[in-house]
Amino acid sequence: MTKILQFFLLLSLSVLATEKPTLTIYTYDAFSASWGPAPKIKKSFEKEHHVTLKFVGLSSSIGALRKIQLEGKRTKADILLGLDTSIAEVAKKTGLFVPHELNTSKLDLPAPYNDDTFTPFDYSYFAFVYDEDRLKTVPDSFESLASMPKDFKIVIQDPRSSTAGLGLLLWIKSIYGDKAGAYWKRLAPHILTITKGWSEAYGLFLKGEADMVLSYTTSPAYHIVEENKTNIKAAKFKEGHYGQIEVAAVLKSSKHQALAKQFLAFMHSKTFADIIPTANWAYPVVKGVKLPKAFETLVQPKKMILMDGKEVQKIRKSLINEWLEGMAR
Amino acid sequence: MFAGLIVPLLLLAFAIALFLTLYVTQDGSLFTSIDTHIYGLLKFTLYQATLSTILSLIVGVLLAWALAHQSKFRGRSLLVALFSSSLVLPTLIVVFGLIGIFGRNGYLNQASLFLFDHSFGAYIYGLAGILLAHVYLNASFASRALLHSFESIPKEKYKLTKSLNFSVLERFLYVEYPAIKSTLFSIGSTIFLLCFTSFAVVLLLGGSPSYNTLEVAIYEAVRLDFDIGLALKLALIQLSISAVLVVLSSGFRTGLANLKTSYTLIPWKEPKILRVLQWSIIGIFTLFFVLPLLVIVIDGLGADFGHIFSEALFIKSFITSISFATVSSLFTVGIALMLSNTRRNFTLQTRYGNRRWARVVDAMVAFSGNLYLAIPSLVLGLGFFLMYQKSEGSEIVWSTTALLTANVLMSLPFALSVLTPAMHKTAQRYDKLAFSLGIKGWRRWTMVEYPYLKASLGYVFALAFCFSLGDLGIIALFGSDEFMTLPWYLYQLMGSYRTTDAAGVALVMLILVLSVFIIIPRAFQNKLDKN
Repeated sequence: MTKILQFFLLLSLSVLATEKPTLTIYTYDAFSASWGPAPKIKKSFEKEHHVTLKFVGLSSSIGALRKIQLEGKRTKADILLGLDTSIAEVAKKTGLFVPHELNTSKLDLPAPYNDDTFTPFDYSYFAFVYDEDRLKTVPDSFESLASMPKDFKIVIQDPRSSTAGLGLLLWIKSIYGDKAGAYWKRLAPHILTITKGWSEAYGLFLKGEADMVLSYTTSPAYHIVEENKTNIKAAKFKEGHYGQIEVAAVLKSSKHQALAKQFLAFMHSKTFADIIPTANWAYPVVKGVKLPKAFETLVQPKKMILMDGKEVQKIRKSLINEWLEGMAR
Repeated sequence: MFAGLIVPLLLLAFAIALFLTLYVTQDGSLFTSIDTHIYGLLKFTLYQATLSTILSLIVGVLLAWALAHQSKFRGRSLLVALFSSSLVLPTLIVVFGLIGIFGRNGYLNQASLFLFDHSFGAYIYGLAGILLAHVYLNASFASRALLHSFESIPKEKYKLTKSLNFSVLERFLYVEYPAIKSTLFSIGSTIFLLCFTSFAVVLLLGGSPSYNTLEVAIYEAVRLDFDIGLALKLALIQLSISAVLVVLSSGFRTGLANLKTSYTLIPWKEPKILRVLQWSIIGIFTLFFVLPLLVIVIDGLGADFGHIFSEALFIKSFITSISFATVSSLFTVGIALMLSNTRRNFTLQTRYGNRRWARVVDAMVAFSGNLYLAIPSLVLGLGFFLMYQKSEGSEIVWSTTALLTANVLMSLPFALSVLTPAMHKTAQRYDKLAFSLGIKGWRRWTMVEYPYLKASLGYVFALAFCFSLGDLGIIALFGSDEFMTLPWYLYQLMGSYRTTDAAGVALVMLILVLSVFIIIPRAFQNKLDKN
C-alpha cells in the first residue's frame, strides 16, 4: 500500500516538475506572425529547452514597450524583442529591464554596439521600397525624393510608435542637421499617411495605395525568395543608409530569469541566425551564416549611419516636436 | 422623494472625482506651457468641428427641405428611417465604407481611372475625409430632426406664401427658417460637440499628426509615447472647453431625437425646376448614404466567413461586445428611467415643481444625464486609466468598469431625450387619477408607465445596444489581445491590412446593428399594439 502511495507521490511530483514554464515575448506583429520568424524560433528553442514560447505581437515594437509600461509590474512579458539601438536607451531608462550578462563582443555587427541590457539579434538598413512596374522615375536621394511630382506619395511610420519611423527621423537629422525641420516641411505633401507600425505601412504599399514605403534594403529579398518577384526594389540613396540593429532584453519582473537569459543567448546561436535572413528578412549578427542568393541583388550600403543611443535619448523629444511641426499644415 | 437624487449625485460625484484625479496627477505646469503643438491641435480641432457642423447643417437643411416638399413617393418612409439609422451606425463601419468608395483604391477612383485615366488620389486621408465622414454621420441625423420641424409648419402658411406669390427664397426666409431655427441651433450645437470630441473618424482618416484632434492626441500621448503628463494636459484642456460648450449650448439644446414624423400634404406641386432640384438633392444624398453601406455588403460577402468565425479573437470579441452591449443598455434604460422620474418630480406642479429649489435640482439632474457631452470618452478613459495605475485591482475589472461607464454615459443623453418627455406626459395625464386611486410603486409602474413607455423603452434599449456595440473610444486605451471588442478587433484587422477579414467583420457588425435597431423596437411595438 505504502509503495503504491509512494508511487503516486513520485508520479505527481514528476508531473509537477515537468509542467512546462511559459516564456512570454512581446514583439512587433511582423515578427510574431505565422509567416514571420516566430514559429520557426519557437520550434527550435522548445526542442532544446523545456519551455513553451509564447509570442505576443503588437502593432509596433515601441507599442510593445508602451504596453509593458502601461502594465507595469503586472506585465506578463518576460522578454521584449524588437526595439532597436536608437530607442533602447529610452527603454533602459524605464528601469524595467535587467542586464543580460552575455559576452557580445564576438557578434558580427556593422557598427559597434555594446550594452549591458539590450542585446542584438539582427540588423538591416532603412530604405524606401518601390514597385518597378509602377514607379518609373525612382528618387536616388532625399533631395530628389522631396522634389518628386505632386501626386507621388509615400507611406512612413510614426516615429513615436515605430522604430522605422524613428529611424527615418534620425536618418534625415544626420543628413540635414539644423535644416531637418525645413526638409520635413518639404516632404510633408508627399506623405500619404503615417502608420503606427511597419506592417501597416508595408500593407498599404503592397495594396497600391502608395508609390513608396519606408522599409529596409533587405525587404525585396522576401519577394524574390517567397514570390519569385523581382519588381519590388529598394531605392539606393546617395547620402547613405541609416541602419537598424534590432535588440531584445529581459524584464526585471520576469519570473523566469534564467530561461529568459537562455533565450537571449539562443539569439546568438547559429540556429537562430540561420532562421533570420529568410524569415525576418534581415542580416544575422553571427558570423559564418550563408545568406540566400537573393541577398546578392540587394542594395549594399558601404557604411551604416547610426547615432548613438544615448545621443538619441537626449534629442528624441525635440526631434519629434520638430517633426510634428514639419507635418503641420 | 430624495432617493431619485442618488443616481444624479453619484454621476456628478464621479465627474468631480474624475476631474480631481486628472488635476492632481498633472504637475502644475498646465497653463504655463501650452506650446505651439498643443495650440495647433486646439486650432485644428475647433476648425474641423466648425466646418463639419456648418457642412452637416447645410446638407441636412437641404435634404430635409427637399424631403418635406416631396412628401409623397414610394419608399419615402423607408428612406427617412434609413437616414435616422445613421445615429447607430458604428463610426468605424462608416469610415470603412467611405474608404471603400473614396479611398485611393476605392470604387470612385477605379471608375475614374477606367473612364478618364485619372485618379483623384488619396484625398480621403486628411481634412477632406474627416469632413466627409462627419457630414455622413451628422447630416442624415440632422435632416431627420429638421424634417420634423419642416413638417410641423401649418399648411395654411404655405397657402399664404402661394397667394402672396413668394419666391422660394422668400418662402424659406419668412416661413420655413423661423420654424426650423430652434432645431437648427440645438442640432447644430450637438453636432459641434460630437465633432469637437470626434475620435474614431480622426484616428482612421487623420492620416498624419497635422490632422489630429485633442481626443486622438490624448490617445497617442498614452499609447504611443507613454507621456502621461502631456495626456493630462490635453485632457484638462479638452474637459474645460467641452464643459463650457455644454453649459453655453444647454440653453438651446432641447431634444436630440424627434421620433414622429407626419405627412404634410401640400395641395399643389412644386414648380418643375424646384422639383428637379429637390429630386437631385434626395438622389445624390441617398447615393452618398447608401453606397458606403452597399460597399460593406459587397466586400463583406467576399470574405471567408468560415475562417472569420473560427478565429479565436473574433469569437472572443464577439462575445465581449454582445455582453457589454446587453449589460450597458440595461443600465442605460434603468438609469434613464430613474433620472427622468426625478426630473418630472421636480418640474411638475402636481409634484415638487413649485418648490423654490426645484429648478436648480432639475438643472443638476439634467446636466448629470448629459455628462458624456462634457466628458469625452478618451478623457474619461484617461481618468480610469490613472485610477487603475494607482490601484492594485486587476486589469480586467478596471477595463470592464471603464467600458461600461463610458457606454452608459454615451447613451444617456439620447435615452433621456426620448424618455423624459414620455415620462412627463404619463405623469401629466395620470398623476391625478393615480394619486386619487392610491396606485403607487410597482403597481403604478405596470399599470400606468410601462404600457405607455414600452415602445420608447424598446427604442432606447436598441439605441444603447447599438451605441455600445459600435463604440471605438475608450477601448482604444484599454484594448489588448485579452480584452477586445468587435470595433477594436476590426480596427486591428484594418491596421494589419487583412482587408478581406476586415470586410467580413464589418458586414457582421453592420447586420448586427441594423437588425437590433430594426427588430427590438418592433418587438416592443407589436406587443403594445396587441394589447
